[in-house]
Amino acid sequence: MTTERAIWDALEKVKDPEIPAVSVVEMGMIKEVDVRGGRARVVILPTFTGCPAIAVIEQDVREAVGSVTGVEGAEVEMSYDPPWTADRITPKGRRELKAFGLAPPTGNGPVLVTSIGLPKTALCPFCGSSDTRNENPFGPTPCRALYYCSSCRNPFEQFKDV
Amino acid sequence: MSDILAAILIALADDELIIGHRHSEWTGFAPHMEEDVAFSSIAQDEIGHASAYYSLASTMVGQTPDQLAFGREPGEYHNAVLCERPNGDWAYTLARHWLYDNADALRLEALERSSRPELALLAAKIRREERWHSLHAELWVKRVAEGSVEGRGKLLHALAEAFAEVRGLFEPFDNEERAIAQGWLTVPSPVLGARFVETTTAALDDLGLPVEIEPGAITTELIASSSGDLIATDEDSASITPAGGGLGGRYGRHSDDFKALWAAMTATYKIEPEATW
Ligand SMILES: [Zn+2]
Repeated sequence: MTTERAIWDALEKVKDPEIPAVSVVEMGMIKEVDVRGGRARVVILPTFTGCPAIAVIEQDVREAVGSVTGVEGAEVEMSYDPPWTADRITPKGRRELKAFGLAPPTGNGPVLVTSIGLPKTALCPFCGSSDTRNENPFGPTPCRALYYCSSCRNPFEQFKDV
Repeated sequence: MSDILAAILIALADDELIIGHRHSEWTGFAPHMEEDVAFSSIAQDEIGHASAYYSLASTMVGQTPDQLAFGREPGEYHNAVLCERPNGDWAYTLARHWLYDNADALRLEALERSSRPELALLAAKIRREERWHSLHAELWVKRVAEGSVEGRGKLLHALAEAFAEVRGLFEPFDNEERAIAQGWLTVPSPVLGARFVETTTAALDDLGLPVEIEPGAITTELIASSSGDLIATDEDSASITPAGGGLGGRYGRHSDDFKALWAAMTATYKIEPEATW
């Protein structure tokens, strides 16, 4: 196995502490991994600018990469090129978000769909119903919006489109 | 030259930090719980944006983002006066939120074309997030505009009050002409201001909110000072308090409201400036 492959595998174990079910790789947050003569460079795309978890993620990535056999030094960079967008989440990542109880993003951004202007609905991660309503476009973290499922009567959160 | 760009980045960050601080004051006090969550989250976004601008500036000026955010004297903050005004009532909060986020959207659109790739990329990222703020502000202004006579009256009054100081958001930055010449900024602030008046008055018209805007509220004549900066002509430059129209903030001239906010905002930092978290 190449060192680069080993780094990607190590990154599969790094999670956003606020979403411990999905790795930073599945979230599409790793832009690139580069290895040159034992020096590794990893570029991270932050999901939200104000994400308070980003410093923790950066440190976890540095530690994970640094512990890979053959890596003598790890450099971790943040980039907005390209901006992280919800469509970077892999199909596996979307399944894992849903299993965690967080509806995956719709991929449409904040869209006004009714005369009272509520954002598009999300599919309930618990019962799959589309009979849901947005209760709040904001939530407990910058990346979450609050919904209510009228079918199974559970409140749930959606990972927001950005 | 990089100090000119750093000063502009810091002014942009100051707007975001100070409005974010005001939004955060609703945490635990908003009229209902969903808005408690919304304003707390918007505050966190704005302060995150401030942090990103400070981070860009920090390498140019050799200070950490925390030192820039909390380690300066009041006269060294270059936020617009509008951002520092107390939240007042819910109507003023909504009016300012709507005006500020409309202004910020125009500004970000211009920054996205900056010749400095790191600034252009950051602006593009922030702009995507700001759509959620605009959505929130639109929903509320529309809801109140179409609601009870009392609420609508309060909103009209608040919009007029906030609009009277909105010019401060389009007060030119220090050395703005040189930043324009370099392509770091792509649209002069007064031009953005004129665009802002055009779009917001049209939007208010659509909402059936006839807000009286003083003619020339934004497009005050600007003249070049001896240093080459554009300054508003109707300023009493000897004064240390903000002039009328919400001006002066870009040059560190703030209201007493700012001093109180600054004292609260920097209190923790001052206890142990070198603390790590
Ligand atoms: Zn359900």
